[in-house]
Amino acid sequence: MAELKHGFKIDVDKCDGRMNCMRACPTHAIRVKDGKARVIPELCIDCGNCLQVCPTGAITATTLPFTALDRFKFKIVVASPALFAQFGPNVSPAQIGGALLDLGFDAVWEYAVDIELIDRAISDTIRTWPGPFPLISNSCPVIVRLVQVAYPAMVEQLISVEAPREIAARELKRRYAREKNLKPEEIAAVYITPCQAKTISIIQPAEGVTSYLDGAVAVKEIYNDLLFRIRQNAGRPHPTEDFYGIGELFHWGSPEGEFPHLSPEHYLPLTGIQDVIKVFDDIEKGKLRNIEFLECHACPGGCIGGNLTVENVYVARSKSLHLSSALPKPSAAFEREVDRRYAEGDFFLRGPVRPRRLEGNGLDLRERVARKKRADELMRGLPGVNCGLCGAPSCRHHAEDVAAGRAEVEDCVFLSRDRINELRKIYRRA
Amino acid sequence: MAVELLRESYGIQGRNFDKAGEISSEIKALLSGLQLNPTSIRRTVIVVFEAEMNVVMYAQRGTLTLILTDDEIALEVRDEGPGIPDVDLAMQEGYSTASDEMREMGFGFGMGLPNMKKNSDEFRIDTEVGKGTSVLATIRLNSHG
Repeated sequence: MAELKHGFKIDVDKCDGRMNCMRACPTHAIRVKDGKARVIPELCIDCGNCLQVCPTGAITATTLPFTALDRFKFKIVVASPALFAQFGPNVSPAQIGGALLDLGFDAVWEYAVDIELIDRAISDTIRTWPGPFPLISNSCPVIVRLVQVAYPAMVEQLISVEAPREIAARELKRRYAREKNLKPEEIAAVYITPCQAKTISIIQPAEGVTSYLDGAVAVKEIYNDLLFRIRQNAGRPHPTEDFYGIGELFHWGSPEGEFPHLSPEHYLPLTGIQDVIKVFDDIEKGKLRNIEFLECHACPGGCIGGNLTVENVYVARSKSLHLSSALPKPSAAFEREVDRRYAEGDFFLRGPVRPRRLEGNGLDLRERVARKKRADELMRGLPGVNCGLCGAPSCRHHAEDVAAGRAEVEDCVFLSRDRINELRKIYRRA
Repeated sequence: MAVELLRESYGIQGRNFDKAGEISSEIKALLSGLQLNPTSIRRTVIVVFEAEMNVVMYAQRGTLTLILTDDEIALEVRDEGPGIPDVDLAMQEGYSTASDEMREMGFGFGMGLPNMKKNSDEFRIDTEVGKGTSVLATIRLNSHG
């Protein structure tokens, strides 16, 4: 398998080893050794919690720098619905679309049709799915990776339908290649992303294929430029004045109402990774079987609260609700276009999502049991206070690391006076 | 005879709905840590959860023992409960003797025992009215991918 890529990096020089990241990581993928944080790649699900809690700014998201797009002849924006909820009450999607063009993009894709298509594909899949239920949404890449790492028995419950952003990118390349007489590889489909997780889903899709999108630019990165241009353009008529269609996708940035076709008693929207984990634990016990579809977002409040957005999630949500309430009813032409493309399109993932291969997979059962027993034994000698000074998030993780040969038991300060002295040196303030 | 690799026992406290489900969570963590195949884990966790709920609903106390061998997980559940007068009837889907109170809490739809059987490769109930019930369920490790 190809090396796992992640959507952020840790700057070793800036890292002070303060362990906030280690404690915030929902999959316990971070260790802090010698005063520096490092990631166990196969456990990281790109949720971005570590970025938010790092007190020294040592962990940063890697999104595409704007200039990396210069190699394409024609650049088209596919904007996360979350983008449109980031600006004040009087800024319209049309103004934002116009500012994106001013910024150097050649077109802004309206993907209301793509979203409606995926909505239909999901509803149809649910109707014909033999079980087990509930099916789980896959538009949030963190959720997909969480299932791969921590809930491997549930991978088949991840719905096998493409995300709208992917279908949008596929369609826009076809259309612009035809209309502008370009080769598909001369066209860039650029996602404006609310989080680094979607970037990683473009660089390395969980189902092992090549994304239709060519890169992602963070909302944060272009926010100021957009705001400046929106102010500059104020009052002028704009080429994208009929841009209302983009509003149709507002259900997608926020929880609740993403799938208006599904009946509410069989459909559960969830946001925030800790809550998602609680519900997944219940599903593993066989509960929630009456729910057909779980719409899950790792960020509290959904994509509008993504870690690369600007506005706070409550203000963004209010803006988002305001925008969706002002939407016109879908036109007959819109419905015809959806019908036409649904009849001829394929909206399913191009490969299966499999559980992630974790350390220890290759060992035989007896060795794995021996390791577990060794870890249990080690646990009895550890204090159980989960202080983290050994560099693992809990005593249990330290015991497992030692049993797996990844750490020394004496890294525990309760077992070794030398360890305290070492830590004193490492954490001595300049 | 298969060699026993691991044996873990858990006490189940009857009538304690707050704690119900904790043992299945623990066992899930245990089996995931051992990286057993996901389907066997899922089946085991469902059987354990239903067993736990049965003890919690009907008995004063019970024990659950998990025994892992090279090729299977065996679960033994023993309780000091009322016993089951008619096992065939109890095994029917939808048959339930749960009280209204249990149903209000979302349990007791008569799916517990059938669901345990469905998720086991071997399933046996021994019961005596007035004394208690013991269930033996095994889940093979290799038969489900």
